[in-house]
Amino acid sequence: MRTPGKRERAEKQEEEVPSAGGTIASSSDLKAGDRVVYPKQGVYRVTGLEQKDIAGQRLEFVKMTREEDGATVLVPLGKVATIGLRRVASAEDIEGVFHYLGASYDDPELDWKVRHRDNVERLIAGGVLGVAEVVKGLHSLSRLRPLPAKERELYDSSRHLLVNEISVALGVPAVIAEDYIDYALMPPAGVKLPLKTPPTPVELKGPPWKRKKPAAAEDEDDLGLAELGIDLGALEGAAVGESEDSEEGESEGEKPAEEGSEEQAAVPVKVAPAKVAPPKAPATVKAAKPAKPATAPKPVPAAKKPAPPPRAAPPAKKAAPPPAKKAAPPARKAPPPAKKPAPKKAAPAKKPAKPAKGKKK
Amino acid sequence: MIRIVTLAPFDEGDIAFLSKTLYRSFGIGTEHQGDRALPRKAELPDGRFDALKLLDDAPPVRAYADDKVVYLTDVELANPKGPLGEPPAWGHALQGGERALVSTFRFRPRGVTEASIEVYRRRLARECIHFIGHLWDLHHCYDARCAMHPSWSPSLPEDPEFELDSFCRDKSERRIRLAKT
Ligand SMILES: [Zn+2]
Ligand SMILES: [Zn+2]
Repeated sequence: MRTPGKRERAEKQEEEVPSAGGTIASSSDLKAGDRVVYPKQGVYRVTGLEQKDIAGQRLEFVKMTREEDGATVLVPLGKVATIGLRRVASAEDIEGVFHYLGASYDDPELDWKVRHRDNVERLIAGGVLGVAEVVKGLHSLSRLRPLPAKERELYDSSRHLLVNEISVALGVPAVIAEDYIDYALMPPAGVKLPLKTPPTPVELKGPPWKRKKPAAAEDEDDLGLAELGIDLGALEGAAVGESEDSEEGESEGEKPAEEGSEEQAAVPVKVAPAKVAPPKAPATVKAAKPAKPATAPKPVPAAKKPAPPPRAAPPAKKAAPPPAKKAAPPARKAPPPAKKPAPKKAAPAKKPAKPAKGKKK
Repeated sequence: MIRIVTLAPFDEGDIAFLSKTLYRSFGIGTEHQGDRALPRKAELPDGRFDALKLLDDAPPVRAYADDKVVYLTDVELANPKGPLGEPPAWGHALQGGERALVSTFRFRPRGVTEASIEVYRRRLARECIHFIGHLWDLHHCYDARCAMHPSWSPSLPEDPEFELDSFCRDKSERRIRLAKT
């Protein structure tokens, strides 16, 4: 049950392949018909390029339509690399997701602010496994105590994202994809899941000190957040259930706008280290609805995320071990060394914890 | 409007209880549209019925926009095998769609006593609320007292609650309100 220590994890991390891959580095990597995941928004299909005259300027956008509801979004070409777009998970990624969901999990982050921020980061930069991490983490926590409203929303929207991506990746209806997820999270009595060693989630990238004291909003400057253009207030408020509000028939314009704020908040956090704010492309776009994407971009390095991050992260962690996050997030699995120690079905442990189950009546 | 379509013989009292419960749960009129033939094409070699195909092939009924149709059957359903195995199929639904399917196959026998019939009816209501909930885009809920908790969950008692918890209720109410406008 024990999860490896932070240091241990960091080392291990270096020899493992990052879990989040498929990030779209440039608009030239996209073509009509491609299916991509827009972090925190869902699975979209690229429908083509579109030009628009905005404030006297002709701008080019990638037009994408969300599969679940047909909502359209326009992303300025120059922003494609910065919003975290990635390919829909591969069959192999999905396989790993299920082994991850079915594995034991006994190391929840207890500080909700840290947890919330980490979760937002996972949704944006963690690939499909990052989404699964959020779902599993909050699910596990829910067995210990009811989730606060805000996290309940985050749990629900993360579940929505995971269901949709798995549905698309496996080509099964959403309801079936959700059954698969819960079959792994809470298998029926008597069922022993054929679990294998789960993949290792991508290490969160923000420097440990940054995540260490997220609660202290007053220290913004000390944390260097201001420099990064991060607004903690926005971060906290964002990230919650946006998928819901954006669902209704918004026009292309609004949607991007909403997202902007959230992303902006979240993205920077993970990419922080690299922080090479590409200044102003955004300004121009601003006029158009894509105002949003414009803001998010700062974290240009995002595109690279897939490979580099894991590597970069570990070192940082080691350097500042003590303050480092409380070992909560990346911990969940204990795979590398032992061939298949951790996977040992989590079910037993969970059951006992389960609180309310009796009928109330 | 929620339209109930029976693909097998059902007791009238059971259907009446179900209609009343669905009306109370969702605040939407509910009506039994009558019996229809079970689509045999969905039957698998092992005698079970492919849940997806059964719902796909279920005889259409007259419905208007925003109506939800729930088909009731008593045959054993099969789900497509997933990465870790086949989750038990209690029914099926098109997430955010219009048609749902519920089978009583896995229920405890209805029996003949008032108590056993009560349990059966409550279960029927619960499963219908669950799958209709999917039609309103509700996801599964970790609260075992909520009807959106997975039907096979080890945390679910033999005679589970048949209502939505407040989170799911609020969410479905929002959806329903939106649908009406
Ligand atoms: Zn369900
Ligand atoms: Zn619920």
